[in-house]
Amino acid sequence: MTLRELVWRAAAAVRLTGTAARERELAQELRFHQEMLEARHRANGLDALEARRAARLELGGHAQIAEGWRDQRSLPAIETLWQDVRYGLRTLRRTPGFTAAALLTLALGIGANTAIFTIVDAVLLKSLPYPSADRLVTIGDRTADGFSSNVGFTTMVDWRERSHSFDQLALLRSWQPTLVVNGEAERLEAVRVSWNYFDMLGVRPALGRTFTEAEDHAQTWRVLLLSDRLWRRRFDSDPSIVGRTITMNDRQYRVIGVMPASFEPLNERQFFSVEAEIWAPIGYELNGDSSCRSCRHLRGFGRLKPGVAMSQATAEMNTIRAQMRREHPQDYDEGSIAIVPLQDALTGGVRSALLVLLAAVGFVLLIACANVANLLLARSVTRQRELTLRTLLGAGRLRIVRQLLTESLMLSVTGAALGVMFAWIAADGLGALAPVSLPRIGHAAIDARVLIFTAVIAVLTGVLFGLVPAWRSASGSQRTLAIDSRTSVGGGSRARSALVVADIVLALVLLAGAGLMMRTVASLTRTSPGFNPDGILTMAFSLVGQAYAEDPAVVAFQDRTLEKVRALPGVTQVALTDQVPFGGNYDCRGFHVKGRMKPNPVDDPCIERYGTTPDYARVMGIPLLRGRFITAEDTISSQPVIVVSEATARLVWGDADPIGAEVRAGNATQGAWRTVVGVVGDVHHADVTQPVTAAFYTPQTQLTDSYLVAVVRTAGDPATLAAPIRQALRELDPSVPVYDVATLPSLVEKASGQRRFVMQLLAGFAIVAVLLAAIGLYGVVSYGVVQRTREVGLRVALGAQRRDVLALVLASGLRLVLAGVVAGLAAAFGATRMLGTLVFGVSPVDPATFAAASATLVAVALLAHWLPVRRALRIDPASALRAE
Amino acid sequence: MPTGKSDVLQGTLDLMVMKTLETMGPQHGYGIAQRLQQVSDKVLQLNQGTLYPALLRLEQRGWISSRWGTSENNRRARFYSLTRAGRRQLQREADDWNRMADIMTRVLGGAPANPAKPLKEDLS
Repeated sequence: MTLRELVWRAAAAVRLTGTAARERELAQELRFHQEMLEARHRANGLDALEARRAARLELGGHAQIAEGWRDQRSLPAIETLWQDVRYGLRTLRRTPGFTAAALLTLALGIGANTAIFTIVDAVLLKSLPYPSADRLVTIGDRTADGFSSNVGFTTMVDWRERSHSFDQLALLRSWQPTLVVNGEAERLEAVRVSWNYFDMLGVRPALGRTFTEAEDHAQTWRVLLLSDRLWRRRFDSDPSIVGRTITMNDRQYRVIGVMPASFEPLNERQFFSVEAEIWAPIGYELNGDSSCRSCRHLRGFGRLKPGVAMSQATAEMNTIRAQMRREHPQDYDEGSIAIVPLQDALTGGVRSALLVLLAAVGFVLLIACANVANLLLARSVTRQRELTLRTLLGAGRLRIVRQLLTESLMLSVTGAALGVMFAWIAADGLGALAPVSLPRIGHAAIDARVLIFTAVIAVLTGVLFGLVPAWRSASGSQRTLAIDSRTSVGGGSRARSALVVADIVLALVLLAGAGLMMRTVASLTRTSPGFNPDGILTMAFSLVGQAYAEDPAVVAFQDRTLEKVRALPGVTQVALTDQVPFGGNYDCRGFHVKGRMKPNPVDDPCIERYGTTPDYARVMGIPLLRGRFITAEDTISSQPVIVVSEATARLVWGDADPIGAEVRAGNATQGAWRTVVGVVGDVHHADVTQPVTAAFYTPQTQLTDSYLVAVVRTAGDPATLAAPIRQALRELDPSVPVYDVATLPSLVEKASGQRRFVMQLLAGFAIVAVLLAAIGLYGVVSYGVVQRTREVGLRVALGAQRRDVLALVLASGLRLVLAGVVAGLAAAFGATRMLGTLVFGVSPVDPATFAAASATLVAVALLAHWLPVRRALRIDPASALRAE
Repeated sequence: MPTGKSDVLQGTLDLMVMKTLETMGPQHGYGIAQRLQQVSDKVLQLNQGTLYPALLRLEQRGWISSRWGTSENNRRARFYSLTRAGRRQLQREADDWNRMADIMTRVLGGAPANPAKPLKEDLS
């Protein structure tokens, strides 16, 4: 068969070409042929009748010719399919209620799966937008959660020299330069990178070039690459920008290139950048202040050589690390290297949450399938007569199964189409609901990949919910061939009960999961972070440039800021600090106590430092436990002091009294010894699900920072004070940029964003699941009542009370509910473990939650009995008995 | 790509129809049937009805085309004619047929009917 013939015949099979007209033409042709033959025979002397017979014999029967012609004309297989489709359409149109219910259920189930898959695909599955992105890794010491820690500059220099597994090893550090244009200061998000960073990623600039090795030095590093956005926003898309000089932090920088608009920086807080717009070389020298091996403030990246496995590279780096530890025991603790694929490093924090959601939404789809299968089974009873008739007329079992499967596939495919529309609408809502910490969410889109996924689940669900009912119906129609069709209605009720039980099991698992997450969010809210965030506004500003090169200038500005802000109406208290809890920053320093240092000081604990002004503890509501907090008497010239948190005291001194002890922070061998003068309560620095953070506090006067956060306690809504405070700072010095303005409660809440997101979605899925289960149950129970009308009538006639009828109906349904709850609890015991560390403050098999979930389900199940019970109670024995 | 060659009769009929259309120009079904009877000296017992599925098949493959016209006795009739693709196909099939006939002749012990003709020939 040629392709052309195939197309022609397929088109004919689905009636794209006019069949009736073409058949009429054939009849006309045959008539002409017949008449010509007759005419010839008459000319040869036969009479009219003989001529017709002879012609008929030569030509053959018209019906047989037309039959052969039709076989040639189209494709019997496609023709049958097309018949099935048209027949299915007619059937579905005839039962609009059934069709609407099935389509809605499927659209909900498939739509929810499409929506969640869209997110999962964007975040976890789509590869990073760099060439051979699977070879990109992060590298550093292994942290407790299996990722890689920050590294020091000299360490990386050694790695480059000694390792052979990488094409490139690159570094990155944070940088927030201040650009002043027309007197208006703007603090920019930027990163400093090793010169080979862009080569490692495999990206080229749109204008100009990337950095050279010669530019990555202390004297030469003031060259810039701009993001496309910054170039458009601040430089008017100037095509001659390359080579121009711009001023930041009172210094001159030369622009050497502009990155393309399509370039996606590694915008993640863990990579020090959220919206990086400028790149400059790191510019360290081996002997520089920030270059030491233990100065771990850089992120390490690498591009593996082709063919080098992750494990191979890790083994090599561990060998190198052991060598380096032998050479520099002061700088490296015991420990090991973690090489983590860049994609995992980016998305590792949300992977388990997304997989939980994907599993949950899969459950919803299974419930939807069970429900539609149930509807099909219910309908197959009423269709038994029709199917029996078709069997009588010669349709085989396979033919009928095929017909019914075609119908269920039509349902699932249409449902999927509706579901995609539903997901498309839901996508915006999900985007709004998603916590900001969901990396790469910007890539979420209903694209070809998502549509293929949806198409596959549409077909799978169609077969899943269609096959059993179809097979049962087909067998049923064979069995009942000879039997009076009115008595054949019992088939399928056991299958339907099983499906309802499955519904309840799945719904209970989802309910239990949602319940656990609700309790998690409740205990997160209940858990005190160790301070009182209510009514506090935080606002960052930086004092950089020539004017603030000396500490006294910074301290003087701090004093003026405190004075001015305190005077604003609505402000009750104000303090400054280098960082706030939940602010996303860390300032962990080696904590070396005189007389208590480890043989190798590198093994001393790393304690989180806050550099604050005297009112900080009072503003934050952190309780003073012993001694005193920082006061105005702690000045640049007085005895250096520190205040420790209770956790620090316990960790370092155990039961001994820390007050009076002397401590060096950061550097064990030089710098002032600071005397411990007080102990304050503990705070959680970033996450209340983790143990409290060991911390210490130093006075801003004695350890002065240029990057500061104002914490302002306000009488009313803290957000309304943002503008006046910003204005006050501008009046003090317009070149000081203000950024990261946020209320402290919002920061604390954002930290639990991922769990809230999981909780909200799980709750939504659980509601849908319970509703679907209730609908399925209602269907089975009410059908049972209709079936048993006669029995109920008889019982009532024989003296059964309303109570007995009620018990009869409830017993039929509650039997299923109880079976479902028992099996569901068992399933939930296993399934809720999937939630893992997402659950906080409650056991993943919390009995109270499981009991509440079961009770909710039973209550909804009872509601589902409401209408069937009412119908049963209204049965009139006389008419019920007469009906049959 | 011709298929159904195992069905010798069907392939033969297609070939005969195309040859007829090449020799006689556009023809209606009756005309083709008469010509086949005549050429075969009535040896060929053709059930003339089988022509019509064959004509449809050839048309689907794009080797012949059809249009309505007026017959010699002024009746409306459907006329079939060979397309360019059909002409090429006819050439190919005729060569195949001749080659097969040669082989059969040799196998059955006679002399080749046309020894000058090469056995392999690429005309496409």
